[in-house]
Amino acid sequence: MSVLSQGLQPRSLTPAALWRRRRTRRYLLQAVFLLAVGLVVAYLIAQALDLELDFDFLSGPGGFSISHQWLTDYVATDSRLAAYTTGIVNTIRLVLIGIVLTTVIGVLAGIARLSSNWLLSRLASLYVETIRNTPLLVQITFWYIAVFLELPEIVENRNLFGALYFSNRALALPFVDSDGAFGIWLIFLFVGAVSAWWARARLLRGEEATGRTLHATPVALLLFAVIGAVGFLATGFPLAADVPHTSVTPFGIRTIDGGLQVTPEFAAILVGLVLYTGAFIAEIVRGSIQALPRGQSEAAAAIGLSAYQRMILIILPQALRIMIPPLTNQYLNLTKNSSLAVAIAFPELVFVGTTIINNIGHAVPVFILIFATYLALSLVVSVVMNALNRRVQLVGR
Amino acid sequence: MQSTHIQASRDAGHRLRFWARDNLFSSRPNTTLTVATIATLGLVAYFLVQQDFFDLDFSVVEVNRRLLFVGRYPQSEEWRLWPPLWFAFILGGFSFGLWARLSRRDVLWLGAAIVFILALLAHGENGGLFGGAAAAAALAYGMGRWVRRDHRSRSRAAKLAALGWAVLIPFTVLIIVAFGGVKPALWGGLMLNVMLATIGIAVGLPLGILLALARASSLPALKGVATAIIEITRGGPLIAWLFIARFVLPEFLPDALNTDVIVNALVIVSLFTGAYVAEIVRGGLQSIPPGQIEAAHAVGLGTVNTTVFIVLPQALRAVIPALVSQIISLWKDTTLFSILNFTDALGGAQAAIAQADFIGRQKEVLLFIALAFWSVAFAMSRLSQRLERALGIGVR
Repeated sequence: MSVLSQGLQPRSLTPAALWRRRRTRRYLLQAVFLLAVGLVVAYLIAQALDLELDFDFLSGPGGFSISHQWLTDYVATDSRLAAYTTGIVNTIRLVLIGIVLTTVIGVLAGIARLSSNWLLSRLASLYVETIRNTPLLVQITFWYIAVFLELPEIVENRNLFGALYFSNRALALPFVDSDGAFGIWLIFLFVGAVSAWWARARLLRGEEATGRTLHATPVALLLFAVIGAVGFLATGFPLAADVPHTSVTPFGIRTIDGGLQVTPEFAAILVGLVLYTGAFIAEIVRGSIQALPRGQSEAAAAIGLSAYQRMILIILPQALRIMIPPLTNQYLNLTKNSSLAVAIAFPELVFVGTTIINNIGHAVPVFILIFATYLALSLVVSVVMNALNRRVQLVGR
Repeated sequence: MQSTHIQASRDAGHRLRFWARDNLFSSRPNTTLTVATIATLGLVAYFLVQQDFFDLDFSVVEVNRRLLFVGRYPQSEEWRLWPPLWFAFILGGFSFGLWARLSRRDVLWLGAAIVFILALLAHGENGGLFGGAAAAAALAYGMGRWVRRDHRSRSRAAKLAALGWAVLIPFTVLIIVAFGGVKPALWGGLMLNVMLATIGIAVGLPLGILLALARASSLPALKGVATAIIEITRGGPLIAWLFIARFVLPEFLPDALNTDVIVNALVIVSLFTGAYVAEIVRGGLQSIPPGQIEAAHAVGLGTVNTTVFIVLPQALRAVIPALVSQIISLWKDTTLFSILNFTDALGGAQAAIAQADFIGRQKEVLLFIALAFWSVAFAMSRLSQRLERALGIGVR
């Protein structure tokens, strides 16, 4: 058709013919559109020029303190950039722990919903349907002011088995404490893991060649445990149990020391995020498992695999392929939803950013910074998940 | 007579035993699971009872009814809320009857939640008006069911319902704002959440469709600008955008448009919703086989006609479930306005919790707010599931 119309075109185009040409109209339309967009952008830039746009304020002293520190030691006299970095670290800590826990809960709830056990599947449905249809902010507020701040006062000294203390100032869980030799022990563990991996691969090859059962996985685990135990003895017990305990200061004030201490703010935002995202992940897991043909599970049962083996060896690896893209979306949602911590004053990056704005203004550069940070975080999550996706897709295809 | 009665009860006992054996104790791992679950539930229940968790007193909600439902909305203008509320109740009931069929369990849960909310709400002078609206909704539900009986009346009713939904939002805004009405700055409580969600979706949906079409366009200028808008908007969390509406937008807007923080926030929420809707609709557009477009061109339709009459109807139909979950997510996200110190339902809840008379009653207020949001979101998700099945999406 285009050849035909080209052949019929007159040499010199009259304005009317020019207007009828598809290409002319496309260019005109785009030119008008770009002009309109350009005018809006020019107006915005003209307005923006009146505002403070430089980033110099970041080097000035923050002037406020930050209640939650982890791997950082920001004090009020440090620069605002240091304050913001502390916020980023707090967000990353929240997101990392959150993603791990929410995946565990989501997968368990998703499988439980498909369980043949009536009680368990009902319970999982109840969890998914209530949590998913309630606003996350209401849940976080609930966990904060109705649960964690309502825990007993620290003076009441409430605990479970003398190891798990709960008070409205901090939850203290038993944890481990390491000394200087811990690094050397990690090397032992690494060597153990590599040799266990190697031994397992070798035994598996032997199993395939001879058809005899050589117990590859138990042997590998045993090897790892032996090397780890030898290292533990050789480095002189680098880990010790760190059980929290309370003490009373000379002024009669009770404090909790030791263990892993979690503040009510962190606990509330973490529990809220994990349970909320977990409910969505449960639905993804359930959908992915149901999307597999029934024959897969039936064939696995026919060759004598147990229910556990069917799930771990046959169903989940295949369901994972369907699962990963929507799972990535949920991880991104969790990353962005971590900003709801501003509601309960947990100092993640939006909280620190808006604190800076409240102190000295400079809203535009601060928001550019916030958006750039979220973009970077989202990119990291996407890149990791896409790499995982490629790996999962390759296996067995 | 007597013997059949005993027989029946013995049968019921038998059935229960068989049912329990099949569903709870079918194998050793299954039995272990059941026992472990019951033990865990018992432990949790014991802990909650010990912490006085079930010592609930909802008088805090009853006293703060106005605060939770309309916030600082002036009492003298309350009459403006009733016609839209009645309209929405009747339309909602009719649509449910027309499109959805609730299972008995859904009715039980939803009914319990709604009865609970109404019981706290419908006191004194409001009782009749709320009860009337609920009764009208039930009646409309029955009518919707009845109209479904044959194809012609059903399609006519569907058109009527669609028209009703299209008119509802302008009608509501008009009644509340027009003729010396109430400025958005004074809206509050659950009513503010409803208004934010409806206006957000009413503006965001067409905006999102336009953005999606622009992004799918073959014109590079349109495509580039639309992609930039969508990706930048989706790049940050909603709360960051709401802070922008408060801190940054006032500096950029001309004074004439710069009336109210809540209007700015509404613009931002609509843009945010539009960007997410655009990505959903883009998926729908991509699912249309190119043959459809080629066929439309072959029968002489131009680009605009092809898009409006051939591509969009099919694309939108394919993404109805995703659009409904976006509406649900917007409905839940309207609580974020409480972070900007608006007295929406959650903001009102926080104000109620701060009252000296109700120290320690956080649980009740928050559970009530959660339940109110839950019942709307749950009803919408069920409606979407039924609609999906009724339209045969994913079943070909």
